[in-house]
Amino acid sequence: MKRLNFLMGTVSGLTVVANGEHVFARALAATPLPGLPGSGDRCLVLINLQGGNDGLNCVVPHGMPQYYQVRPKIAVPRGDVLAIDGTLGLNPQMRAFKAMYDKGQVAIVQGVGYPDPDHSHFRSTEIWQTAAPARYEHTGWLGRYFDEAGLPENDLFKGVAVSQVLPEVLVSNHTDIPSIPNAGNYGMLSDRNAFERRAFAQTAQDRALPFSSPYLAHVMEIEDHAQRSSEELPRLIAGYKTDAAYPATELGRSLALAAQIVGSNLGTKVLYVAHGSFDTHINQKAVQDRLLGEFSDALAAFYQDLAAHGNDRRVLTLTFSEFGRRIEENAGAGTDHGEASPLFLIGGGVKGGLYGTLPDLANTNMGNLRFTTDFRSVYATVLERWLGRPSTTVLAGSFPTLPLLA
Amino acid sequence: MDFGGYYRPVGSLDAGAALAPRAGTLDARSAAHLLRRAGFGGNPGEIARYAAMPVGAAVESLIRFPNVPGAAPDDVYSPASLLQQYGAQGLRALGDVQTKALYRGIREQEQRSVASIQLWWLNRMLSSAAPLQEKMALLYHGHFTSAVVIKGISPAMIYNQNQLFRAYALGNLRELTRNVAKDPAMLRYLDGTSNVAGQPNENFARELMELYTLGVDHYSEEDVRQSARAWTGWRFDRFNEEAFFVPRLHDDGVKTFLGQTGNFDGDDVVNIIFAQPQCARFFAGWLLNSFVYNDPEPELVDQVAQMLRRHDYELAPVMSALLRSNVFYSERAYRALVKSPVEFVVGAHKALGLPEIGPQALPALRQMGQVLFYPPNVAGWPGGQNWLTSATIIQRQNYLARIVNSQSLEQSSWLHELPMQVKPAAQKLVAQILQGDAAPAAIFQLEGLLGGAGSSALAALSAENYDERVSGAAYLTMSMPAFQLA
Repeated sequence: MKRLNFLMGTVSGLTVVANGEHVFARALAATPLPGLPGSGDRCLVLINLQGGNDGLNCVVPHGMPQYYQVRPKIAVPRGDVLAIDGTLGLNPQMRAFKAMYDKGQVAIVQGVGYPDPDHSHFRSTEIWQTAAPARYEHTGWLGRYFDEAGLPENDLFKGVAVSQVLPEVLVSNHTDIPSIPNAGNYGMLSDRNAFERRAFAQTAQDRALPFSSPYLAHVMEIEDHAQRSSEELPRLIAGYKTDAAYPATELGRSLALAAQIVGSNLGTKVLYVAHGSFDTHINQKAVQDRLLGEFSDALAAFYQDLAAHGNDRRVLTLTFSEFGRRIEENAGAGTDHGEASPLFLIGGGVKGGLYGTLPDLANTNMGNLRFTTDFRSVYATVLERWLGRPSTTVLAGSFPTLPLLA
Repeated sequence: MDFGGYYRPVGSLDAGAALAPRAGTLDARSAAHLLRRAGFGGNPGEIARYAAMPVGAAVESLIRFPNVPGAAPDDVYSPASLLQQYGAQGLRALGDVQTKALYRGIREQEQRSVASIQLWWLNRMLSSAAPLQEKMALLYHGHFTSAVVIKGISPAMIYNQNQLFRAYALGNLRELTRNVAKDPAMLRYLDGTSNVAGQPNENFARELMELYTLGVDHYSEEDVRQSARAWTGWRFDRFNEEAFFVPRLHDDGVKTFLGQTGNFDGDDVVNIIFAQPQCARFFAGWLLNSFVYNDPEPELVDQVAQMLRRHDYELAPVMSALLRSNVFYSERAYRALVKSPVEFVVGAHKALGLPEIGPQALPALRQMGQVLFYPPNVAGWPGGQNWLTSATIIQRQNYLARIVNSQSLEQSSWLHELPMQVKPAAQKLVAQILQGDAAPAAIFQLEGLLGGAGSSALAALSAENYDERVSGAAYLTMSMPAFQLA
């Protein structure tokens, strides 16, 4: 509420748009279904491990002799694994992340995938983002969440993609989600003077036009959002200070901005960040180890930062990758596109530990791990038990939730 | 079009008169409307020329377009000859490091080549004497989708597909569909070359009906399976990038498809599909959504579908009738479509009367959400309201800011000769760029800007401050809501 008043206060002088017919329809569609109490200030950070992260060298089955048989060149030596138990352990580069696991802040869901897996990066990424394995869907699962959640129209940052281009997962029918790769670049080019910017704001909102269009109200609304959000963002997040030592990597910078946005209380429910590329067909070890190390260090700094501002329990981080990789290594000391792989849920709100079932390394689908947990079960868990929303319409089906949130 | 975010204009359709030809002569407003829809907009000279023409003659001049050979792109790359030098055995003999280096080199050349073809096409949209041909090629590209650089689709292959679309711009839809089905880029994109007798791959067979010709719910899963059998036998040779048919890989058994039985091949499948009334309705809806307004009424779709069938799917007579029709010039159709990023970028250069689109358009288009030859998926770009978000609007505005400057004033066919009085100058900007579609308060802002309200000293418009003020005013005019709409 405070946040909303604050934003409204900053736009005095601008005409607040009286929205047209679609907004009315939108308001009807957006009547909120009953939510869970306490979900109000929770936020989800989605990290896309782009390119297909090799699950077996990330969460390593060091207790299984077969793992060492099929990966003579690239298996993680047993003595190097950061053991979780006698069977599984984390990649040695993930030391900081292992410390978070040991503190109970990390849930690992094993063997996540979907039926009839697609091996194209492109299509499988789309499937994970739209949560629609069997049909083409242009909205993302979190885009549909926004369409249904009925969040205040005036919250301009209810979702933020920390990326150049809006990812499909945040594409929606009715909700405007900005993509902000870095706060300094999000804005109208500054070589225009203040008068022009003001004039733009005003001309964009004048409704006395000599034509009508089914899209006019939308154009005006989005121009208003663009204008206000780009002008407001630097000021809204300027007060946030942090001592956290983020690594000087792209993921480190992205998560630092994510923490700043969360900590500035802009009503943000979802943030999207990408990390990669994990497409390790050749000489996998060097590339994947570096990326996992960056992931581990950036995540640790992120949660330190969040904790220092009392936000660590508010923020749940979920990772995904379009597929895992082939069980057997290839001749180039790499791995080819595979199927099921583990994913992580991180934060003060999770019940740490291992969930799901490790897929059988012997009973494979043509050399690929068969999934044991449908990815939509993870999404249903996040929707229902974290964001406090029903999941069946967003996911076009009913999927059992997992007991991994505190 | 099953996407959300498409809206029909308010008001009701006069179904009886909708497709009757509109009589009389165009004016600036309707000429600009015609040029936006049948192309990418007009520069002030083109709009003035069309504004004096009778409707029929104006449409004819767009439909009977000249055969424009035009220059080819500078760099149309294919790795085929390089791969041929190695040969299949030579490639197998390469070590991992060499293989990686080879393909990295190929990938780099491909990226450069794609950028060259993208820029070439944008400039062709801007300058072609046959804008409708380019518009149709763009619409086909978003409909019969293929993407470059994946699945072994080289820049040369996507360029050839682009030329196929150009050749069929106003040709026969059935024939185009038969040809695009055997186009190497399409065969690779939808796995048609992995489809062999006994092990059918249904990808193309499904999309052919679902996305390209009929729409969901107008065929059964069994029709998909039977169609896939009919399409078996196509292979691809990456050493010359040709598709070829191998009879022994083709399933020549009897198929039952959409109620008919016979030893069908792919051409037969297309012919059977095009005999379905739903196919005509599907393309009628596509044409109306692309040229008139979104979510058209079913009775209007039926009328255009009948026209398509009457002309046996020949597009020239159908497009001619559509672009002359009452419904096309109705107030309900006016500014009723959202410009795609490509239409926005090309249209901005048109409006400013600029001679060329520079390479800065390519990253800008990416950030606006439309990269030529990279549709987001087989369903193409979701348009309508989906194009506009805060981030894409900012990118659209920033692109305008980048292209409006002193240099472009110089290059513009008309911006350097505005009247030196504030009111007439503002009026001319709004007339030339927006055909008057600006609100009085916006025009007042524009006059303020031209009069120096934004600068430290109020001074009359003069040679001294002309560049700064006029470029600001041109930017502001193009920032008005009407400019986002086609």
